[in-house]
Amino acid sequence: MIEVDSISKIFKEGLRGKKVRALIDLSLTIRKGEVFGFLGPNGAGKSTTIKVLLNLIRPDTGQATILGSDVRDAKVRQKIGYLPENPYFYDYLSAEELLWFGGRASGVKKPLLKARIPQILERVGLLEARKRHLRTYSKGMVQRAGLALALVHDPEVVILDEPMSGLDPMGRKMVGDLILELKEQGKTVFFSSHILNDIERFSDRIGIVAEGRLRLSGNLAEVVPSGETLEDVFLRTIAAADVEVVL
Amino acid sequence: MKAIWPLAVITFKEGIRNRAIYGIFLLALLLFAANFLICGMIMQEVGKVAVDIALSAVSFSGLLLVLFVGINLLAKDLDRRTIYMVLARPISRGQYIWGKFVGMTLLIFTAVASLGGCALLSIGSVRFAFPNYFPRFAWEPVLWALALIALMLVLLAALSFLFASFTTSSFVTLVLTVVSYFIGHGVSAIKALVEAPEAVGIEVSAATVRLVKAAYYMFPNLSLFDIKIQAAHNLEIPWTYLAGTIAYGLVYTIMIVFLAGLIFSRREFP
Repeated sequence: MIEVDSISKIFKEGLRGKKVRALIDLSLTIRKGEVFGFLGPNGAGKSTTIKVLLNLIRPDTGQATILGSDVRDAKVRQKIGYLPENPYFYDYLSAEELLWFGGRASGVKKPLLKARIPQILERVGLLEARKRHLRTYSKGMVQRAGLALALVHDPEVVILDEPMSGLDPMGRKMVGDLILELKEQGKTVFFSSHILNDIERFSDRIGIVAEGRLRLSGNLAEVVPSGETLEDVFLRTIAAADVEVVL
Repeated sequence: MKAIWPLAVITFKEGIRNRAIYGIFLLALLLFAANFLICGMIMQEVGKVAVDIALSAVSFSGLLLVLFVGINLLAKDLDRRTIYMVLARPISRGQYIWGKFVGMTLLIFTAVASLGGCALLSIGSVRFAFPNYFPRFAWEPVLWALALIALMLVLLAALSFLFASFTTSSFVTLVLTVVSYFIGHGVSAIKALVEAPEAVGIEVSAATVRLVKAAYYMFPNLSLFDIKIQAAHNLEIPWTYLAGTIAYGLVYTIMIVFLAGLIFSRREFP
């Protein structure tokens, strides 16, 4: 379903072009219908991996495929829903117009889209605010609009980068329920989060990344031995990678 | 086109609702009102002055639109990373540039149509008040002048897209676009001057001639699109000139946007 095969990426920063190794030989496999939680400290390479999957960044070496297609093929994104970390949208569009764009650009037929937009807006709690310009939305509302945009075209694969970020407890519950609904529908969900509790609650399998390398990956039940918590495993993994972490 | 059109539509909506556009339209309306007052004061060549001021107001307002609304439409996508939500769709980077450009072109045409309508109203009202000063007036060249202003603005917007495709700052794009505007408007006259300096009794070094010639071939000749004088004096504009200028504008614009798309397709968005 999602295959990441030995990808490496080096960024050049500053005027001197100082090299920063963002991803090092990272490989991942995410199976159809599973919820995969991707965690790691800040700057570990979570968002970079996700951006490679969306072809926003091209790896120096290695390749990534989704549903059997190379991620560089734009057509594959018809079947992918993506929520960026701290999403920004157009100030003067309404949520309804944003979803119209998302649906039409992904090839959803007009009548189907007309029926789907109010449904999805109701699901994320934005039906009443659907005509308001997005610049009047709170951070949590923008996050909800982003979720609706990620799901408006009924994608097979959903990639969520820190989906709980900026949400109040009700919003977090809504996102959690959505992830579980997607799982029930047989969708594949790949999501990154700092919140270990969320990862523990929703994921079938997890991957821990630190300093650009995948340090640990597997079924949640296998990765977290009985008597331990995910936090214990996470801290031990990060300590072994010699990375300073603040929880 | 399936991928480009929805992007063009939201680009147009985002642009037309931008508050900066209200300021630009207000300024244009003031200039049109000033046209009536100025013509009432000078009482000489009123017809020519009225046409010149009205067309200049459209041209200037359109320039502000490209510089302060158009550039932001693309630059803000990069600065605020709204581009993520666009490129997460089955839209290539090349299609992204074309979608944005089509939206910008719709915005320019809508703005020039509205401003042009006000310009025609302004000219018409001056003509109604001072009919004796319009002996040679005709609407057709004024309409052609408006069409060429729109085309010039589209070409300028294409240039701003080209600059945005390789710069990382909207300010640099703005500066390069402004510089291109001034060079594009003046380079033709400067080239004629440096190629025949004896006509005005000056000396020009060979290096200067080479520099001016390089600029002449590098930048589009925007002065071709300026037929305000012909419109003000109702001088005959050969159809070959109009057809040639339109073809020049279209071919140049398409080439530039295509090049912008090529450059942009190599970019990454970390």
